[in-house]
Amino acid sequence: MSYDDVEIEDMEWNNELQAYTYPCPCGDLFQITKEDLKLGEEIARCPSCSLYITVVYNVEDFLDKKSNKPIEPSKQQPITVA
Amino acid sequence: MEENEEGKIVKHEEEDEEGREQEIWSWGAGTDGQLGTGKLQDELLPQLLHLTSLSSAGPISFLACGGAHVLALTSGGKVLTWGRGTAGQLGHSDTVNSPHPKLVMSLNNYFITHVSAGWNHSGFVSDTGALFTCGDGTFGQLGHGDYRLHCYPVKVSFFASKHVEQIACGMRHSLVLLRGDEVYGFGSGKRGQLGIAKDKINLVSLPERSCGFEGVKIASITANGDHSAALSADGHLYTWGRGFGDTLSAKTPQHLPTSFCFTKIALGWNHALVLTGGEVFMFGGNHHGVLSNPDKMTPVKHSADSRADSRAVVLEKVPGLEGSRTLHIAAGAEHSAIVTENGVLKTWGWGEHGQLGLGNISDQTSPQEVSLSHKFRKEASLIEIYCGSGFTIAIRTSCRPSQAG
Repeated sequence: MSYDDVEIEDMEWNNELQAYTYPCPCGDLFQITKEDLKLGEEIARCPSCSLYITVVYNVEDFLDKKSNKPIEPSKQQPITVA
Repeated sequence: MEENEEGKIVKHEEEDEEGREQEIWSWGAGTDGQLGTGKLQDELLPQLLHLTSLSSAGPISFLACGGAHVLALTSGGKVLTWGRGTAGQLGHSDTVNSPHPKLVMSLNNYFITHVSAGWNHSGFVSDTGALFTCGDGTFGQLGHGDYRLHCYPVKVSFFASKHVEQIACGMRHSLVLLRGDEVYGFGSGKRGQLGIAKDKINLVSLPERSCGFEGVKIASITANGDHSAALSADGHLYTWGRGFGDTLSAKTPQHLPTSFCFTKIALGWNHALVLTGGEVFMFGGNHHGVLSNPDKMTPVKHSADSRADSRAVVLEKVPGLEGSRTLHIAAGAEHSAIVTENGVLKTWGWGEHGQLGLGNISDQTSPQEVSLSHKFRKEASLIEIYCGSGFTIAIRTSCRPSQAG
């Protein structure tokens, strides 16, 4: 069972992991890459445990289109726009 | 997966001036060094810490456990920190993990009286009422008017002319209690956890006053996940932020309408424990299916149905604790721990990282006894319990015979 539903705007872009992340109750981070999002993947997994969350987002926001600006993460860190 | 080190426990004994000994035990998720064992691994059974840095700092009077870091306050007003430090939350002027307790040097000139650890940030209150914060500031949760991380404790200038008594750090927000009973919030307010307005709030990087406490004497504040809570001096409970179970989020503090007089509250990410008259009640606990078994719980009719309030929270009495009063409660993200007046330590909830200390990774739907080594007679020791997101720490202090503590 999905631990939680989390909107993509509530996830943080992590440059080191090259993934969107959200806190996992175990102390680690749920993670999902832009590549996963482009493929329509909704599940962000924690590398340390069995839990996962469902990411709520529009796949169109992550497809490669010049006119479509990718969704901005809700934090200050610079992001690499794919 | 983990090597069981039972029987190979290194002795660590602290004696204070009164001849009392103190032991610190840790267990659960440990890959960021949050257990203070020096090893970056999970521990399924309580580990007795052997720490020279702790011995020299004196007895620990209070712990705050965050997402994966720990702040330890000594009776002499010093602070030691360990665990995840990648956002500067340890206050050591760097952004690295520390698997061993280290003194926060920049607070050395202050006598610290209260600390709180959030997901990746930390707060420190001095005896003069000054507030310092460090760590992740992405959501404004440090209160400095910016969204940057600070890797050593920085005084929050907003409170320069005010007397701060307590800080409570959640996942992405912070609460502050001033002498004179004003409560402030800053950081992410998306779920209403700042309690500052009925309108939708996103991020707030400077403290703003929470509403709804006019004329109420607040004794303590608590935050975890996207939840916030306060207890009044006369035992009333207020909660705001993300709802528990099926209840809706609340943007302003909501008084729980009940005749109970609460003495303590502990917040998880989806549940809360409250203590009243030595009995433990829980709400929101069926999330993730592991915190409690609804069939075993005894719902207590107290809720606000007479007011037709859609936020009605149902308090459930935690089973299996009959016959002994509970003294301490603590909540991790998805697990719970209590200590009874007889010195019995019990845990339940999510157990995948060994955070229940039972030697396995099973979940438990009712309280299970955790055994520390029997060096002290149970009646002759005091145990205090603290939970981080996925780990647990107990402090056991021996009492001299005929001394109740």
